[in-house]
Amino acid sequence: MSALLAVRGLAKSVPGLRQLFAGLDLAVGAGELVAIVGESGVGKSTLLNIIAGLDEADAGEVRIAGDLLGPLDEAARTRLRRERIGFVFQAFHILPYLTLRQNVGLPVALVSPDPVAANARAEAMLARVGLGDRGDGYARDLSGGELQRVAIARALVHRPALILADEPTGNLDPDTAARVLALFADAVREGGAAAVIVTHSEATAAVADRVLTLTPHGLVETHG
Amino acid sequence: MAEPGVVSARLALGWLIAGEWRAHPARFLLTALAIAVGVALGFAVHLINGSALASFDGAVRGVNGAADLAVRATSPLGFDERAYPRLSLAPGVADASPVVSLPAQANGARFTLLGLDAIRAAAVTPSLIGAQARGPDASTDALFDDDGLFLSRTTLAAAHAKTGDTITVAANGRRVRLRIIGLLPAVAEGQAIGVIDIAAAQESFGRLGRLDRLDLRLADAAAARAALPDLLPAGSVIASPDTVAQQGESLSRAYRVNLDMLALVALLTGGFLVYSAQSLSVARRLRAFALLRTLGLPRSGIVTAVAVEGLAIGLVGAGVGLAAGYGLASVALRWFGGDLGGGYFRGDAGLAFQPLAAAGFLGLGLAAALLGSILPARAAARAAPAAALKASGDPVDPRARVPWKPAVALLAAGGVAALLPPIAALPLFGFAGIALLLAGGIAGMPWLARRLLGPWARRNIASVPRLLAIRHLHGAPGAAATALCGMVASTALMIAMATMVTSFRGAVDEWLGEVLAADLYLRAEGGAGFDPATQARLAATPGVSALAFSRQLPLTIRADRAPLTLIARPLTGPSARLLVPVGRPIAVPPGAIAVWVSEPAQRLYGWNPGEAIRLPVAGNARFVVAGIWRDYARQAGAVVIDAAAYTRITGDATRDEAAATLAPGARADAVGRGMRARLPAGLRDAVSLAEPSTLRSFALDLFDRSFAVTYLLEAVAILVGLAGVAATISAQTVARSREFGMLRHLGVSKRQLTAMLAQEGALLGLVGAVAGVLLGGVVSQVLIHVVNPQSFNFTMETRVPVGTVLGVIAALVAAAAATAVIAGRRATAADAVLAVREDW
Amino acid sequence: MPLFLTAARLTAALAALSLAAAPVVAAAQATAAPRGYPVVRPGIAFRFPADHGAHPAYRTEWWYATGWLRTADGHDLGFQITFFRVRPKAGATPARSRFAPTQLMFAHAALSDPATGRLLHGERAARAGFGLAGARIGDADVTIRDWRLRRLPDGRFVVRAAAPGFTLDLTLRPTQPPLAQGLNGYSRKGARPAEASYYYSLPHLAVTGAVTRQGRRAPVTGQAWLDREWSSDYLAPGAAGWDWTGLNLDDGGALMAFRIRGKDGRTMWAGGSLRHPDGTIERFTPADVHFRPLGWWTSRATGARYPVAQELSVRLRAGIRRFRLTPLFAAQELDARGSGLPVYWEGAVRTQGGRGYLELTGYQAPLAM
Repeated sequence: MSALLAVRGLAKSVPGLRQLFAGLDLAVGAGELVAIVGESGVGKSTLLNIIAGLDEADAGEVRIAGDLLGPLDEAARTRLRRERIGFVFQAFHILPYLTLRQNVGLPVALVSPDPVAANARAEAMLARVGLGDRGDGYARDLSGGELQRVAIARALVHRPALILADEPTGNLDPDTAARVLALFADAVREGGAAAVIVTHSEATAAVADRVLTLTPHGLVETHG
Repeated sequence: MAEPGVVSARLALGWLIAGEWRAHPARFLLTALAIAVGVALGFAVHLINGSALASFDGAVRGVNGAADLAVRATSPLGFDERAYPRLSLAPGVADASPVVSLPAQANGARFTLLGLDAIRAAAVTPSLIGAQARGPDASTDALFDDDGLFLSRTTLAAAHAKTGDTITVAANGRRVRLRIIGLLPAVAEGQAIGVIDIAAAQESFGRLGRLDRLDLRLADAAAARAALPDLLPAGSVIASPDTVAQQGESLSRAYRVNLDMLALVALLTGGFLVYSAQSLSVARRLRAFALLRTLGLPRSGIVTAVAVEGLAIGLVGAGVGLAAGYGLASVALRWFGGDLGGGYFRGDAGLAFQPLAAAGFLGLGLAAALLGSILPARAAARAAPAAALKASGDPVDPRARVPWKPAVALLAAGGVAALLPPIAALPLFGFAGIALLLAGGIAGMPWLARRLLGPWARRNIASVPRLLAIRHLHGAPGAAATALCGMVASTALMIAMATMVTSFRGAVDEWLGEVLAADLYLRAEGGAGFDPATQARLAATPGVSALAFSRQLPLTIRADRAPLTLIARPLTGPSARLLVPVGRPIAVPPGAIAVWVSEPAQRLYGWNPGEAIRLPVAGNARFVVAGIWRDYARQAGAVVIDAAAYTRITGDATRDEAAATLAPGARADAVGRGMRARLPAGLRDAVSLAEPSTLRSFALDLFDRSFAVTYLLEAVAILVGLAGVAATISAQTVARSREFGMLRHLGVSKRQLTAMLAQEGALLGLVGAVAGVLLGGVVSQVLIHVVNPQSFNFTMETRVPVGTVLGVIAALVAAAAATAVIAGRRATAADAVLAVREDW
Repeated sequence: MPLFLTAARLTAALAALSLAAAPVVAAAQATAAPRGYPVVRPGIAFRFPADHGAHPAYRTEWWYATGWLRTADGHDLGFQITFFRVRPKAGATPARSRFAPTQLMFAHAALSDPATGRLLHGERAARAGFGLAGARIGDADVTIRDWRLRRLPDGRFVVRAAAPGFTLDLTLRPTQPPLAQGLNGYSRKGARPAEASYYYSLPHLAVTGAVTRQGRRAPVTGQAWLDREWSSDYLAPGAAGWDWTGLNLDDGGALMAFRIRGKDGRTMWAGGSLRHPDGTIERFTPADVHFRPLGWWTSRATGARYPVAQELSVRLRAGIRRFRLTPLFAAQELDARGSGLPVYWEGAVRTQGGRGYLELTGYQAPLAM
C-alpha cells in the first residue's frame, strides 16, 4: 500500500515517568484525513512531534512518502519538514511583521530563492482560502478564523505530502471552526495529501475519514 | 465606585514581583548593576573632585595662614616693600604681616618657602609660626637667624630630613644651606611649607626690597576694604582667602563639571537600560497583568508593582554604586591624583565622604530606576485587559506611523539651548542642549530605523532569514528603539567626545608645529634665570645663529582668577613668527606698548584688538592690544609683550627661556652641550635643554594624560550601553521563542534561524551605530563650539576621528549580532521548538 | 627694678612666638655670657637728654613707667606702660634687608581699676624698621605702631597706648632730677660684676591726661615713676623670681628696693636707694633690704600665692625704717600666658606716706627654671 504516512510499532514514554503509548501503528493514504482523539495528557501532541521529526520515539518507525525518518539527521529532517510537511497550529502563529502574502509564502521561500514564484504561489493559496485580496494586509487586521485560514494556506502552499494539524480550531468559535475545517478538509483532499488532525473536538473529528482514539496500547478505530 | 485599593492587593503584588524576580534574577541583577555603575562613576568623580578641591583649598589656606585679607603681588616680581608701613597703618587694619613667598625645592621635596617676620605672623597668621626643637644649644635668637628653617611635617618627610639637619634649599635660582631648627606644628598634614626669617629670605634668595604678600588682620573690614585700594602698590591686588581658593576652583571648574557630566551620562545610560529591561519585562507580563486586572487589580496596581520593582532595583543599584564609588574614588586618588590626570592640582588629596553628594547620587540612581520602570508600566496599564488577554503576542502593526514630531521638537530645542550664553562661566545651556539632543535622537530612533530599513523592506528578498530580520526590525522599530536607547546615548556621547578630543588634539598638534619653530629650547627651572651676561655668553655659542630669550611670569589680573602668563619675548626678528595669530593685527598708537593677547585671555577678560588694557606690572605703562594669538598651552590666558619694553618698564632683564635657531650644519646635541658648558656652574643643573620633537611629544603626552579619564568614563558608558543592548536583545529574542518554534516546524533550520538573528542583531547594531554617530556628530559640534570655548576658552576646527567612528560602528554591529546569536541559541533549543503549543 | 622681669618677659615673648616654653631657660643660660655686646661697667656718667634715648649696642633696654592716677570723680587707678628694646644678635654682618632683625621692640600696658577689681592689659611687639617701630638715639622716642613714648623738648614725656579695653593718653612731667641708681648709675644685679645694668629713675612725675574705657574718655591726674635701664647681661643662674618696689613718698622722697629670690626662696641679692626730699641719697647694700610678707593672696586662675602685702625694711643712716606695702586691690595678677607672657603680679600699692608699685615674679613657677 502506498500510504503517505506509515507508522509502525511506535513506543514513547516520558523519561522516568510513564509509558505514553507502545506498539502504535498508523497508515494514512493520499487525500485521507485522519483525526486522532484522546484524553488530555495521553500523548497526542507527542505523537505529532515524533511524526514531524521534532521528537524521538523509543521504538518503532515512521515513513513519510516511503522514506524512513529514523536514520535522517537533523538537517535532513529539517529539509523533510520544509518540503514534505505542512503544519497548522492552534495559536495560528502568523508573524505580525510580515504581510499575509509573505507569511503564506514562507515555506516556498525556504525552498526556492525566487520571490516572484513564492508570491504567486502564496497569492493563489490565499485566493484558495478566500482571502485573495488580503495579501498585503497584516495579521493585526484579521479575525481568528481568517488567521487560521492563512495558516492553512501556509500549510498547503508548498504542496506537502503530509499535513499535521494540532487542535486547529481550538481558538475558534464553533461556526467559524466548522467553516475553517470544511475548507481544510477540501484543500487536503484536493491536493492529495495525507492529513493528521489531533483534536478534542467531536465536531472536528466529524470531518475526518477515520477517527482514532489514542490509548496507551496504540490507536483504536472509533468507527469506519 | 472607586477602584479597589492597591494597598489591599499588596499580597498579590508581592507574589507578582517575587515571581518575576525568581524567574529572572539575572535580569534584575543586571539592571541593578547598570544603575550601580552609573551611580558609582558619578559619585567617584564627584568625590575625587571634591577631595582635590578641598586639598587645594587647604593648601591655599595653609600657605596663607588664614589671614583676614591679603595684598598679593600680581606676579613673581613682587611689589615694593615700602608699601608695607602705609598698608599696615591703613584704616581698619589691625596688623600686617609681610611675606616673601617662593616656590622652593630641597632634597627633591617641593614646597612653598615663606619668609616671615615671626612677630607679625604671630599676630596675623599664627598657624605659620614654627616650634623650635628643644635642645641644649637651642636659643630663642635662632628665630631670627638667617639660616634657621622651619618645615611642615610633610615637607620634612618629603625631604628625608630631620630637625637639626642642614639642607640645601633652591629657590628663585639660588641655592642656600639652611638649618632645620623646628617644625610648623599648626600646618596641616599634607601641606608642603617651609618658613625662614623674612630678612633671610630677602637676602639669601635675591628678593631685597620686594614682598610677595602682605597678610592683614582687620579691625574694621569695611573701613579696610574702602581704604586699601587707593594704597596698593603697583603690581598688587587685594585677595581674601576665598578669592585665592577660587583661583584654583575657577581654573579647574570647567574640567570638573565636564567630568561630572560624563559620569552622569553613565547613569543616564543605566536609566535607559532599566527602561529597556522593564519595558520587556512588562511586555512579557502583559497578559499576566491583564489577567490580574480582570481579577480586580486596579490600573494603578500594575504601575505600583512595576514601580516597586524599579525602586528595589534603584535601591540595590544605587547602594552598591555608592559603596563602589567610594572605593573607586580612593583607588583613583591613589593612582591618578586628585585631578584625575588633568594637571590642575598637585599634591595628595585625602578622600572625604560627602553625605550630601551621596544622597544626591542615591536620589539620581533611584530616579533613573523609577522613571525607567514607571514609563513602560503606565503604557501597559493603559492596555485594555480583554484585548491583551486574547492577543497572541505583541500587537505589532508594521503600517503604524512612527511619530517624528517629538524628536524634531526635542532636537530643535537642543539646538536653541546650545546657542545660549554660559551661566557663571559654565556651559550649562550647552549641557542642557546636549541632553535635549540626546533625548531627541532617542525619540527619533524608531523613525530612523524605519527610514533606514524602508528601502530594503520594500524590496523582494529571496533569503528567508534576511527577509525575516529586516521585516521584523522594520515592522517593530519601537522594539529596536527600546533595545538601543541607552546604546545610542552612550555612542553619541562617545563619538562626540572623540570628535572633540580629536579636533582638540589635532589643533594642538598643528599649533605645536607652528609654535616650536626653533631648533633647540632652553629653560631655567625652579625660578632660576639667565642674567644679561649669561645671555650674551649663550648667544655666542658656536653653531647658534639666533637666540631669542623670553621671560614667563604668572600675572594676577583678578584676585579670584588664576594668574595669566605674561610672556616677554623679542617681537622683532626671527622669533616673531612663533606667534600664531588669529585675525589681523592692528597698529598700536605711538607711546603705547603692544600686547598680543592669547585667545583664552581675550575671552576671559574681554580684551579685543585696539583696546587699551591695564596690566598690573610695574609702572603706569599704557598697553594696547595689537592682536590675538592662538594658544592651547595656557588655559588661564597669556599675553605677550616685547622683551625690550618689558625690561624698560620692570627693570627685570632676567630671562628664563630661550629658543635657539642653529646655523646650517650645526648639530643640536653638540650645540646644546656647548651652551650648557657656557652656563654658570650654579645654573647648569637648573637648565633643561630640549629639541622641538621632545617638547612636542611631551606636550601631546600631557594632553593625552589629561583626557585619559575622559576616555575611561566614555568606555564605561559604552560598556553599560552594550550591556543594555545585550540584555534587551536576549530578552527580546527569548520572548520570540514561539515564533522560532513555528519557523522550525516550517522547516527553517537552526542555522537559518541563527543567521536571521545575527543579521537582525547586526542591523540593530548598525541602526544604533548610525543613529549614535549622527547624533554624536551634532553633539560634537555643541562640544566644540559651545562647551569647549565656554569652559576652556579654546576654539578649534572639527576633525572627525574616522577610525574611532568606524571602530565604534563595527564594535556595535558585532556585539549586537553576537548577542542576538547567543540569545538565539537558547530560544531555538529543542524544548523551545515545542513552545509553539504553549499559550503563554 | 623691672630688669629681671623684662628679661624673663622678653624671652617668654620670644618663646611664645616659637610656641615652646623650653627655650626660655635655654635662652637665659645661653645668653648668660653674651659675646659681642658692650659690658656694663662702673664709672660712667649719664648725659641727658642723650641717655633718655636708645643705646642700641646693648642687648636690652627699657622705658618703664608705673603710677597712680585719679579721675575727676576721685577714683584711684594704677597704670603701667613699658617699652623694651632688644638687640637679638651682636656682631652679625651688616644687613641689606630692611627687615633685618637688628633691633626688636616690645611694649606692655596695664590698667588696675579697684572699681572692677580687674587688671586690663595689652601688648605690642615688632622688629624695628619701616617707621613702624623703633627707638630713637639722642632722646626718648620709642614707637610700636600706634604705641609711643617720647620726650618733648620741654622735658615732658608723652605716652600713648591703645590696648583691648582701654587707652592710655598721658603726659608725665618731671618734678625732680633723674635719680641714678646703684653706683652713679651702675646697678649690680648679682654676685658677678657683669650682672649689672645702667639704671636711672625719674620719680615724682606729675601726670595729666586721659584714660579711655569702653569708649568713655576720662581725664586723669596723678603721679608716676619712670625707670630707665639698659644692659647686656641679665639674671644670675639659679634665680627663681624677685620682689621689686618703687615708691613716691608724700614728702618728696623716692624709695626703690628689690630682692632676688633663689629657688630655695632665700634672697640671693638685694639693693635699692632712698632719695630724701633734700636730694641726699642713701644707697642700700644687699644686707640693708628686707621684705617680710604680711598678707597673701591666692589666684584662683593660676593657683599662684603672692605676698601682695609686705613689710619692707630698709636700713637707713637714721636707723631701720619700715614700709607697709598695701595693694590697691589684691587681684593685680597678670596672667598673659595665652600671649606667651609669664604669670606675675604687678600692682599699685600704698604705704604710709607714699604710693607706688610692687612687682612679684616667680611665684606661679620659677621664672628662669
